[in-house]
Amino acid sequence: MSTKIKPHRVFGLYQDERGRMLCTKSILQGKTHFRERTIRAQKEEYREIDPTRSKLAAAVVKGATNIGIRQGDVVLYLGASHGYTISFVSDMVGKEGLIFGIDPAPRVMRDLVFLAEERKNIIPILADANHPEEYEKRICGADIVYQDIAQRNQAEIFVENCRLFLKKGGYGLLAVKARSIDPKKKSKQIFEEVRKKVEAELTVIDYRILEPLEKDHCMIIVKK
Amino acid sequence: MSRSSQSTKLRESLYSLRLPARPMKYVFLHLLGQVAVDEKMQEIKILKDTKEAQRLIPLPTEKRQAALFLLKDKRYYQELSARNLILTKEAIRNAVNSDALIIQSISTIGELDQICNLLAKRLREWCGLYLPELSEKVTNHERFVELIITKTRVELQKEYAITETMGADLEQHHVQELVLLAKQIQQLYRLRQEQDRYLQKVMQEYCPNLLELAGATIGARLLELGKGLKRLALLPASTIQLLGAEKALFRHIKTGARVPKYGVLFQHPLIQGAAKDLKGKAARQLADKLSLCTRLDYFKGELKAGEYKKELEKRFG
Repeated sequence: MSTKIKPHRVFGLYQDERGRMLCTKSILQGKTHFRERTIRAQKEEYREIDPTRSKLAAAVVKGATNIGIRQGDVVLYLGASHGYTISFVSDMVGKEGLIFGIDPAPRVMRDLVFLAEERKNIIPILADANHPEEYEKRICGADIVYQDIAQRNQAEIFVENCRLFLKKGGYGLLAVKARSIDPKKKSKQIFEEVRKKVEAELTVIDYRILEPLEKDHCMIIVKK
Repeated sequence: MSRSSQSTKLRESLYSLRLPARPMKYVFLHLLGQVAVDEKMQEIKILKDTKEAQRLIPLPTEKRQAALFLLKDKRYYQELSARNLILTKEAIRNAVNSDALIIQSISTIGELDQICNLLAKRLREWCGLYLPELSEKVTNHERFVELIITKTRVELQKEYAITETMGADLEQHHVQELVLLAKQIQQLYRLRQEQDRYLQKVMQEYCPNLLELAGATIGARLLELGKGLKRLALLPASTIQLLGAEKALFRHIKTGARVPKYGVLFQHPLIQGAAKDLKGKAARQLADKLSLCTRLDYFKGELKAGEYKKELEKRFG
């Protein structure tokens, strides 16, 4: 399929002419991992991101302009799961970059290992983000901390990991799932509480509610 | 002063100007090996022999962060990746335990039950064309499947006193297909029995107390929902009581609907047998005892489930 692809205003992302689809330039041409659509244009291959599957893409669709991810960055990715979003972050940081994907579940880590064997810039680590000492000795400092875990204390985990591993001036992205913090409260109220907790140590630069794409979720982008 | 010694001195001073020698001061253990850092936290080196490490001071915790940033260097990426991959693969391998096996087995049983039911119903429909009266007389699926395989229509009519049938006279090659399906269903029933036996065996070794009090199916379901024996043992008894009733529980929290009394425990003979107004009490006390059982099993205690069972049976039996 030949569509014209132009850069998106967010660095590392691309869109088609009508601005309807979001994609990244694949670093591994001719290979898809999640049956995503690919587009060939200008001798490059682009992989489409589904914003209903990736909260990072959802935040961009909802208008986040600065997500901080640059070519060659080191990313600490907490809650890597099967690696859908991580595969696109891997495109964005390029071959020079590095991503530490951390998840405590062996089942999803299996899929992530397969992904990492193809995409060399991903490093899978089977560990719990609640206990940074488990993986502290296996990683290096990071330019970006991205967190998407459904835990009650997700805000605390994020702040702690940013404190330990995020460089000064680095960006942190926190996808908040309101329902795992409290199933009863209004989600807006929970977002505010999380924001306050995060603001105590970091500077919030963007805040997007991901509604219709992701129910009861929001994305908080911070700078250290 | 001779010329040669002058030139060496010059070279030395130049060398020291360009690269001030930084003696390494701290050392810390990383996946990459023993890593040494200088005092000002500007240079980093991976030590090759351990003797050098013994002369250095362990890195204070507050400086660890800075050291991790020194490691953020393209030189180390490949090594980091390779070593982490090996460790992660090993961790995945080691994560397989009896919990994982039991969870797979109970899931298989659940799915086999669904498939057997679905196919058995289809067989009854199909058979309705041929001998509709039989479906009415034999309600047990497994028995029905067996009859279709072993007996002909005439024999069945005689056995169940069906004098006249509404079914059509199908030719032999049509009936053959019907029997083929029945044989496959019978195979699935056998597989399910085999899985049951296997589950009993694994649980007898792994969690005898839980098996004794809860039975294989409910015990395994609890392990599945509690995500393993360790976590189950750490859960409060009230959570065990409601495992499998999450939907109802959250509906209660959100909308104030009625509180669920039991989750998967509902199937337990003690609760099934309890009087209606005692069902909640029975569930609570059963969950208490089950919680004790999981703890006994996890910490390899003695067999006490028999006592608990008698106690509960006396109260609710």
